[in-house]
Amino acid sequence: MQRIFYGGWSIMFVCAIIGFMLAVQFRQVRDSQATVPNQRLEEVSGRLIQVEEERDELAKRLEILQQETNSWMNQELISELKIQACVTPLEGEGIIVKMDDSTRAAKSGENPNLYLIHDDDLLRVINELRAAGAEAISINGQRLIATSEIRCAGPTLSVNNVRSSPPYEIHAVGDKKSLENAITMRGGVAETLKVWGIQLEVTASDNVYIPPYKGTSKRVYSKVVDEK
Amino acid sequence: MAKPLLGLIFGIIAGSFFPLDIMGAYTKLFSVVLLVALDSVFGGLRASVNKNFSDMVFISGFLTNALFAAFLVFVGDRLGIDLYYVALLVFGFRIFKNLAGLRRHFLKNF
Repeated sequence: MQRIFYGGWSIMFVCAIIGFMLAVQFRQVRDSQATVPNQRLEEVSGRLIQVEEERDELAKRLEILQQETNSWMNQELISELKIQACVTPLEGEGIIVKMDDSTRAAKSGENPNLYLIHDDDLLRVINELRAAGAEAISINGQRLIATSEIRCAGPTLSVNNVRSSPPYEIHAVGDKKSLENAITMRGGVAETLKVWGIQLEVTASDNVYIPPYKGTSKRVYSKVVDEK
Repeated sequence: MAKPLLGLIFGIIAGSFFPLDIMGAYTKLFSVVLLVALDSVFGGLRASVNKNFSDMVFISGFLTNALFAAFLVFVGDRLGIDLYYVALLVFGFRIFKNLAGLRRHFLKNF
């Protein structure tokens, strides 16, 4: 075969450049596809585990500290105050209200927000329940106390700074007849919410369980003074 | 025949172990320069089978093409016009043309 190649060296040089660039690019594409999301995932899940461990440890410490204080104070007064402060679980007759977003699709041009449960919907239900004499209320396992907030947090709802998503289950202890009537009365909350298709279901029960408040309480600005 | 392959293999090995990361801003530049290099190699191969290969023409062609393509990318970025498509199209076209020349030559000789 005849000699067909001239200038092999310079071609070889440029070929080396091509190979170099191909390899660099290939490595980079492979790295960016394979490792970045995984790395992020590992990082985030690792932090989650760490925070959960921390939380469990703190909950244990809280329990120990509470037991310690129990032992050296007037038991009766303590238990009454604890009920007032909502840190004891309660059970009694009452109602369970289940609420969920509307299954209806929003018509075009309509605000889809109207078909979702918002904080003010829940607040109205809670307000009715309190007006009807509910003694203790919890939303999705979060006890409502004097400082509890109910507010929208994106698509979820935050109660006691704990987020939960629909369906919402409101437990209320009190006279079950009047509680039920307060929600379902003509022109009441249930009827208004039904206009938007929001699902609301009331069940009366003889033993409704209300969990205790599990958060902490902080007092920074308020001071105890004599009555004026 | 072995030298270009040898060079390619050497480059791939070097690139695999060289700790170089190209930032996202330079990927356009990178693709254009890669095409320029490919075009030069095919052009060089074609010239060498036609026996009119010249080292000076080959290397100077590679360098000026690469520089001008890089310049197009740079100016295009500043102006907000994707001028580098021009380089991509032209060099892509030329690669196929050179390939066709090589094919013809080999078909004629065998």
